[in-house]
Parts: sequence; C-alpha cells; structure tokens
Amino acid sequence: MISLPHYLAVGAILFSLGLIGFLSRRNLIVMFLSAEMMLQGVALNFVAFSRHHGNLHGQVFTLFVIAVAACEAGIALALFLTLYRRKRSLDVSLWQDLREPGLDPTVDTEPLPAVPREEPLPRLPPAGVEPTKEERQYV
Amino acid sequence: MTLLADSRDPLNWTVLVPVLAGGFAVWYLLPTARKRPWVFGALAGLIALAGLVAFFVRGLGQQIPETVEAGLFFGFAGLAIVFGILMITVRNPARSALSFAVVVLSTCGLFLLLAAPFLTAATVIIYAGAIIVTFLFVIMLSQQEGPSNANLRSREPGLATAAGFILLATFLVGLQRVYDWRSVDTAIEHASALARADQIPQEYLSPRPQADLENFNSGPPPPLTPRAEAFLAEMRAALDRVKVAVPRREGDRRVMEHRSVQDVEHAINSLAALGFRQHDAEDIQTSSQTIADGLRQLKGLRDGTAAFDDLTVSEHGVVKPVDGEPRRLPAANVSAVGRTLFTDHLLAVELAGTLLLVATVGAIAIAGGRRERQA
Repeated sequence: MISLPHYLAVGAILFSLGLIGFLSRRNLIVMFLSAEMMLQGVALNFVAFSRHHGNLHGQVFTLFVIAVAACEAGIALALFLTLYRRKRSLDVSLWQDLREPGLDPTVDTEPLPAVPREEPLPRLPPAGVEPTKEERQYV
Repeated sequence: MTLLADSRDPLNWTVLVPVLAGGFAVWYLLPTARKRPWVFGALAGLIALAGLVAFFVRGLGQQIPETVEAGLFFGFAGLAIVFGILMITVRNPARSALSFAVVVLSTCGLFLLLAAPFLTAATVIIYAGAIIVTFLFVIMLSQQEGPSNANLRSREPGLATAAGFILLATFLVGLQRVYDWRSVDTAIEHASALARADQIPQEYLSPRPQADLENFNSGPPPPLTPRAEAFLAEMRAALDRVKVAVPRREGDRRVMEHRSVQDVEHAINSLAALGFRQHDAEDIQTSSQTIADGLRQLKGLRDGTAAFDDLTVSEHGVVKPVDGEPRRLPAANVSAVGRTLFTDHLLAVELAGTLLLVATVGAIAIAGGRRERQA
C-alpha cells in the first residue's frame, strides 16, 4: 500500500502549482482555474488522511470543499462576466486602479510580438458584371 | 546546516533537485512577451520529474511495494503534476481549461486508490460540469483578435515561482521530517540491542581507574565515553522527534507530557546521571529496555498502529475492521459517507445548502444586469 506521505506530497505539489498560477497569470479565467487546483490539492490531503485514520470525516470535509468550490465558481464567473463587459478584456492588470495607495502601477514595457496580418481573401467579381478597378487585379 | 535530520547527504538532493529544476522549468515556461524556446523548459521539467521520483522512492523513507497500486499511483500523480504545470504555463486559456480537466480526472484516480469511490464520482460529475461551463466562458469571452496582454504576459513570474517553490520545499522537507522514521528506528534498534546484550560492550563503559576502586563504584559518576554520549544524544533526538505529535494531557496544574514520554525522559536522565559503570549493568539494561519500549509505543501512536486511549471520534465515522484486517475502508463507502454526513455533520450540511442558495442569488444579482445591451 502506498503510504500517506506520498499522497500528501502530490497534494502539496498541486497546491504550490496553483499558487504560482494564481500569483503570476493575468487571465482571470486561468487565475480561477489555479485557485481550483489549490482546492484539489487540499482535497487530496483530506482524503488521504481519511484513509489513514480509517474514518470518513476527511471525505465529508472534501464534499464541503466541493460545495464551496461550486459557490465560488458561480460567483467568480458572474463577476468575470461583469468585468469583461466593462473593459472588453479578461486582463486582470486593467483593474490595477484598485491597488493600494502609494504603489507604482505595473507598466508593460516590452512590446508584444507582432503577428503578421493575414492577407484578406480575394473577392471574385460576380459573373456577368464588369469588374471594378480593385477587382480587376484578380482577373 | 543540515536540511534534513535523517538524511546522510547534508544537501538533501531529493528535495533540492525537483524544487530547483521544477522552479526553473515553471519560471522559464510562464508566458512572457518575448517567446522562448520551450525545449530548455521541458528538459528542466524532465529533470525535476526524475528528482521527484527519487524523492518518492528514497526521500520519504517509506517502502514502495511493487504492486499495481504503486504503478497506478505514479501514473495518476505524474499526469496530475505534468498537466498542472501545463495548465499554468500554456498561453491559450482554452488549453489551460482542458489541462485542468486532466488534473481533476487524475486526482479522481488518486481518490479511487484511496478508497473513496463516491467522492470520485461526485468530483467527476461536479467538476466536469464546472469545467464545461468554464470552457464555454473561455470560448465566449476570449475570442480576441491577435495577441493580448492577458495571455502573453505574466505578473512577476520570478517572484511568484520563488514563492511557490519555497513553499513546496518547505512542505517536502516537512513531510520528510515527519514521516521518515529511519533515525528513530535505528535508535530503537540500538537501545534494544543494548538491553538484550549479554554483556555491555566495552566502548560504552567508563574506564575504571586502577587506583581507587571503591570510590569509583560509589562516588560521583565518571565522565561518559564518547560512545555513551552519542548513544544518549541519539535517544534524546529520537524522543524529540516522536513526542511532537503526542497529545499532552491537562493535569491539575500544568500540561503534562504523555506517560511514555515521561518514562523515556526519566530513563535517559537516569542513564546520564548514573554514568555507565560496570556494576550498574542491570540498571543500564533496564533503562535501555524502557527507552526502546517507550519509543516504540510513541512511534506507534504516531503512525497509527497503536491506539490513543482517549481519542474522541464519534462511532458513526469510524469504519469497523473488515475480516480482521484493520484500517481498511469498506466497499460500503457510500452508505458510510451518508451516515457520517447526516449524523455528525448535519449542521454543516444545512450551512452548505444555505451557502449555495446565497451564492446562486449573488451570481444572478451580479451578472443579471441587462442594461449594457443598449450601449
């Protein structure tokens, strides 16, 4: 039987990864998923301890964790929807006006990589009509 | 500085390698405005995974049986960790959501290995639903043209990775210190070897001066030999490790240590006070036996093989041994969960229901506005 500390280690790793994602990603939805991953790590701990002690209180606690996670999902997604309606973006740094007074704003200095614009698809002139000046190049 | 009490290598490579390599991999792979080649990050991630396997196999001081269960455990754990890293590092949020689905399914596999089938099913159902909803949101909201700040930049990736991996290192070292019993096992072995020996080995005994034999036997204790000093230090260290988790009782006036802790402490102190003299051999062996028994008892309390005599757990949640095999959760998991839920945790169930109701109302209140439609 795989013993308790192995499961605890996996839970700790999931928790830490979720923490990093929550702290560093800027997309609101990815931040939300990271928080859920932290909850997964904690749930794994509870179930492992439940098995270790031979009773079911840990599993019951995990059920409550899932219930709270469901509430969190509902509220968070509603909130994201409202935020998205205001700024047309999911970038959390757009809301940095809410930071503490006295802190410098985060400014992105490095430009994003330029994506080459795709050539617009050619529009063929309808048959039987004399092509206009622009359409003449495709003929 | 020794990073771990029980390790023979002072740098504790089984923790250091996965934490450093994994930290580099995550930091390197996190989105930045300038694109990096992913190969180096993947290489560091592979090194970290190899180090992690070493941690699981060697670093925790636990035997891993060669069973199907171990294979399944490593499979599910590996899937969960790899896709967890992918989830926080890929740029496309839709792929993040899919990776998170894999993480959840792998965790459900681990739940199944931990004898929690009901929880497995519940998690799959609830999270699968939640993930699909999230996924729809992603598709709906992030259909933006071209690169965006939200997906291609990170906030302070270096600091965030450092914070996360320092926390992880603390967890892993803590797990080692709590669950690696090799030093305590050695201490118990030494103590019982000394107790069972026909004759106390010469290296323990304080040398007897030729001159005043009478004074040596009855006078103040002679200085201890280095071997005896080391023995006592080992016993004290082992006691310090095992007594951490043992509950203390509220005595009349002050908090009392557990009886076994008191016994072992007393035995160690009396050994130190008596000194190791040839004519005290019987006392020495009795004390060693006390130490070995006490340490074994405390260790049993700690890893669950010995029962606390005053543990208060309600009867409903305790699962009776099946077929004389102790501490196995039964196949009747669902009914047992239900029984616990509605006897011990009834108030919590009501509160959770209230919370869900309030959350629903809140979500509708927040997102229900339709005024922006005209704008």
